[in-house]
Amino acid sequence: MLAGEESRPLAITVSDLCWEFEGLKVINGLSLNVHVGESVGIIGPNGSGKTSLFNCLSGFSTPKSGSISLNGRDVTALTSEHRARLGLGRVFQNSGIFRDMTVLENLQVAMESSYSWLTTLLPWNNRSKQIRTAAHAKLTEIGLGDKAHQRASVLSGGQLRVLEIARALAFGSQVLLLDEPTAGVAPKMRIEVATLLQGLISSGKTVLVIEHDLAFIQQFCNRMVVIDSGRVVLDGPTAEIRGNPLLREIYFGSGVA
Amino acid sequence: MPYFIHIATVLCIYAILAQSLNVILGLGRALNLAHVASFALGAYSMALWASPTNSGIVIPMLISIGVCGTFSLILGWISLRLTSDYFAIGTLAFAALISALLINWRSFTNGVLGIPGIPRPTIFGYDTNNEVFFLILCAAVSLIIQILIWLVFRSGFARQLRAVGERPTSAAAMGIDRRAVLSAAFALSSCAAGIAGVLFAMLLSYIDPSSFMLAEMIVLFTMVVVGRPGSFWGCLGAVLVVVLIPEALRFLKVPYCLDPLPSCFEPIASSVLGQVRQLLNALMLFAVVWLGRRQLFPKERIC
Repeated sequence: MLAGEESRPLAITVSDLCWEFEGLKVINGLSLNVHVGESVGIIGPNGSGKTSLFNCLSGFSTPKSGSISLNGRDVTALTSEHRARLGLGRVFQNSGIFRDMTVLENLQVAMESSYSWLTTLLPWNNRSKQIRTAAHAKLTEIGLGDKAHQRASVLSGGQLRVLEIARALAFGSQVLLLDEPTAGVAPKMRIEVATLLQGLISSGKTVLVIEHDLAFIQQFCNRMVVIDSGRVVLDGPTAEIRGNPLLREIYFGSGVA
Repeated sequence: MPYFIHIATVLCIYAILAQSLNVILGLGRALNLAHVASFALGAYSMALWASPTNSGIVIPMLISIGVCGTFSLILGWISLRLTSDYFAIGTLAFAALISALLINWRSFTNGVLGIPGIPRPTIFGYDTNNEVFFLILCAAVSLIIQILIWLVFRSGFARQLRAVGERPTSAAAMGIDRRAVLSAAFALSSCAAGIAGVLFAMLLSYIDPSSFMLAEMIVLFTMVVVGRPGSFWGCLGAVLVVVLIPEALRFLKVPYCLDPLPSCFEPIASSVLGQVRQLLNALMLFAVVWLGRRQLFPKERIC
């Protein structure tokens, strides 16, 4: 917990979360509090339960026990659609972009998702035109303006990432879960992803990011959480954790001193 | 000439059926095998409730929309708990249920004997027992439904439907309710199929369960797949191809006496025409699936 953070309201509260997969306790009594506007880097070895934690947070996995609150509201029993409408955005480890749609449509569908199917069906509303213009402006902003009408499957890995983050923001999420946003992204596009992330954090969004690149976490996150065997083992300011010998042991193996 | 008018009428009805299936199968990527059941319900509600009263065309259509809408909501409520292949099997159960009801509930549906004497309406003084007027009626109804579905294809609703169809997890992560969106699409396509059923019952003036079996579903499926699922104009083109190519066989002359060399050419006997049609449909479906397998069955299949 950082100085000054305590006064802010809680964005995410996870208490005593347990989740099993085929009898294996992937998440085993995990508790975590994240305040509004914090940027938290989550690291841990493969299979330590990072993505499972995100799945539980966004409602794709049902926890065995424990509870999850979003902005003070208990969302443990809510569906993932419902949580998304409460302002929880998610960027998947494997790109979740709709490849059969155009780049523009990917943003449009996110911007329209807060409207019910009935509203989007009515042809006489002017809103869809406004959304289209706004989506186009957004694309130009992230440097994909010239690709607007191409199928999203033509985009490179880095462009898919940038588009996906933009899309997660387009439906108004306040809390963003990013699962390895720079995995498989070339260094040049990495800067684009980084710029986008920096913008998010400075605009006051709450960001949780799973990342294997410690330098990347250090650059963006003021807080670092280390997860191992489904539990939080270390939690604190990034600079402090970075030097902790336990991190080295968990993350790099005990052979590295 | 009456033959060509009949074919044109059939084309109009198939255009409604295939395009409404295209909404579910093409946009929503949900293999709804109960689509033909909606068609049957439309036709039977025309035959059972509307025809004894000879109540024109608006009331039968409203009745069939009501029946099909209710059916689709029940279908969606139950089968949308399932996903992908299991969903298709769930809808297959509904299709089997409806055809079993049509065959076995004799006191109500007259079983395999079917229901004869379905009247055609008189609209603005034009008696549609005249085939030309009936064709105009079918074309007009078909056109209205095509325009409505075209508007749906261009709407944000179509995007939500495609999102749910392509990546259910991503759609859920942005707050799109899969069951609500697919149920709405079901209701829409089911009502359109019901209207096609009303026209079909009027066209033949006699219906029996054999017109609403799974084989008919496969013809509709062929139309949507041949036209590339999710393509509005492709679907209409495919309706033309799938209906007209087998019809062209009637005019094709094949070598008849093969001993020792073909010496005379005669049209294919009408007794084998039906089988040849099915064979041709199967070949067309196979060819399209084989050629388009990369698009139809992408390697990465998520959820």
